[in-house]
Amino acid sequence: MGRHEHARNLALLGALGLALGFLPPMLSVYLRSFALFTMMYVVLALSWNIISGFTGYTSFGHVAFYGIGAYACAILVTDYGWPWLPTLAVGALVAAVAAVALGYPVLRLKGPYFAIAMLGAAEGTRVVATVWDGLTHGGLGISLPSAETSLPTYYAMLALMVVTIAVTYAIGHSRFGVRLNAIREDEVAAEALGIDTTLYKLAAFTLSGVFPAVAGGIQAYKVLYIDPPSVFFVQITIAMALMSMLGGKGTVIGPIVGAVILYTVQELTWVNFPTAHLIAYGLFIVLVARFMPRGLVGFAIDRGWARKGMVH
Amino acid sequence: MDGCSFAVPRGKISGLIGPNGSGKTTTFNLLTGLASPDGGAVFYRGENLVGLKPHQIFRKGITRTFQITRVFREMTVLENMLSVVGPGVPDRVARARADELIAFVGLTHLRAEYGGRLSYGQQKLLEFARALMTDPDLILLDEPAAGVNRTLLQHLLDHIHRLEAQGKTILIVEHDMNVIMNHCAQIFVLDYGVKIAEGPPAEIRRDERVIEAYFGRRRAAPAR
Repeated sequence: MGRHEHARNLALLGALGLALGFLPPMLSVYLRSFALFTMMYVVLALSWNIISGFTGYTSFGHVAFYGIGAYACAILVTDYGWPWLPTLAVGALVAAVAAVALGYPVLRLKGPYFAIAMLGAAEGTRVVATVWDGLTHGGLGISLPSAETSLPTYYAMLALMVVTIAVTYAIGHSRFGVRLNAIREDEVAAEALGIDTTLYKLAAFTLSGVFPAVAGGIQAYKVLYIDPPSVFFVQITIAMALMSMLGGKGTVIGPIVGAVILYTVQELTWVNFPTAHLIAYGLFIVLVARFMPRGLVGFAIDRGWARKGMVH
Repeated sequence: MDGCSFAVPRGKISGLIGPNGSGKTTTFNLLTGLASPDGGAVFYRGENLVGLKPHQIFRKGITRTFQITRVFREMTVLENMLSVVGPGVPDRVARARADELIAFVGLTHLRAEYGGRLSYGQQKLLEFARALMTDPDLILLDEPAAGVNRTLLQHLLDHIHRLEAQGKTILIVEHDMNVIMNHCAQIFVLDYGVKIAEGPPAEIRRDERVIEAYFGRRRAAPAR
C-alpha cells in the first residue's frame, strides 16, 4: 500500500472522529447512549480481533479485561475518591499485567484448549470479584457517585475508539501484523522461520487486553453501577467474537463494520420484537454464517472487490 | 537417531539420503530445534545448538524448507516472504529482496495471491525463496525436487550452485538420485537412525551397505 493511501485512510479516520465529535448536541439522550455503546463494541471487537483474528487464538474470555477495567474505575472513584479519567489508565495497567501473567501459561494451549482456558479465566475473575468483598463490595456491586456523565463518557469512548482503530490499522499494515498472521497460519513453521512466537503472542494478547479494560472503565462511569454478573457477562465476549466474524476477522475494517451492524441489529430487534428479539438476532447470525463464512470482508475478497492480504 | 555423527562441510552442497523412515527429516528437526535430542550435541560454528529455541537457531543463520510444504496458506506470496524478516530490517530493503526472489522463482504474477492457492510445485518454490529471504549461511532443503518440473528444477539447482559459490553451506534431503549424485560433494546415508555411509557420490554408489539398505540383502540360493 502506498504512502498516499495511508494518508488518505488516516484523514478518513480523522474526519470520522471529528464528525462524531460534533454529533452529541444533535442527538437525543437515547441516541447519544446508543452511539456510545456502538463505539464501545467497535473497540471490543477490534481488540478481540488482535489476538483471535490476526493471531488465530480464539478467546472466549476477553470480558475479563473489560471487567477488570470497570472494577478499577469503580473502586478508585468510590472508595478512594479518585477523579474518573486517571482510573482508566490504572485499569489499562492492571489489565496489561493480568494479560502477561495469564497469557504466559494459557498461550501455550492451542485451539479449543486455549478458548476454554480463557472462558475459565474470565469466570474465575468473576468469582474473585464476587468473593473479594473487601475490595470489590462483592455481589452487592458498586454504585458510583452520580454525575452528569453522558458527555464526558461519550468523548472518552470516541477517543478510545479512534486510538483502537489507529493501532489496529498500524498492526494490520505492518510486518508485525504479518508475523502474527504467520503464527495463526502455522505456528511451528513461524517459530522455525525466526519468529519468537512466545513474545509475539504475548504482545498481541496484552494489546488486545488493554483497550477493553479502558472501555470497561468508561462504561462503569456511564452506567454508574456495576456488579460481577454485569461486567463479567459471557455474552460480551460472545458479542466481540460474533462482531469480528460477521465483519471479517483478521482484517482491520471487518470488526468495525461487524460491531456497527450487529449492535444496531440487536438494538432494533430488541425495540421492535421485545419478546422474540433473541430469535431474530440468532436467525441473523445463522444466515450470515451460512452465506458469508469468512465475514463481509472475506466475502468481498473472494469476489475480487477487495485485495488479499494486509501488506501489498 | 542413534549414535549418529557427521560433519557437514562448510561452503559445499551435501546430501542426506536413506530409505523412508531412516531419520532424514528428524535430523533436520534436530538441527533446527524443532526436536530435542535425548543426548548428544549439534554444533554449528563451534557452538552447541541444543537447548536453543527454533527462532534463536534461525537467527544464527540456519534456515530450512519442509518436506510437506508449510507455506502460510491464508497469506499472500509477498506476505509469506516478508514474514521471516526480522524487525531490524527496513521495509524498503525487505520488499526489494522479496520482489527479487519472487521474480527469481517465477511467481511475480502470483505475488498478491494466497499461498494456499498455489500449486504444490509453486508452494515448493515459494518455500525455497522464503528460505533465502534472510541470506542464511546454512540452508537445509527437504526434498526440493519433489513436485517441481524439470525446467524449474534445473533453474533451482543452478541457483543452489550459485549459493555454493557465495560460500553458503547447503544440505539436501532428496529421493531424486540424479540431484544427489550430480550435485552433492559429500553424501551421508542414514538407515534406521544410524549413519551407514559417508563419502563423495562415486563412493556411495558402490557402497555395499547402501545398496543393501535400499534394495535389501542379496540372498544366497536356497540350499537343498
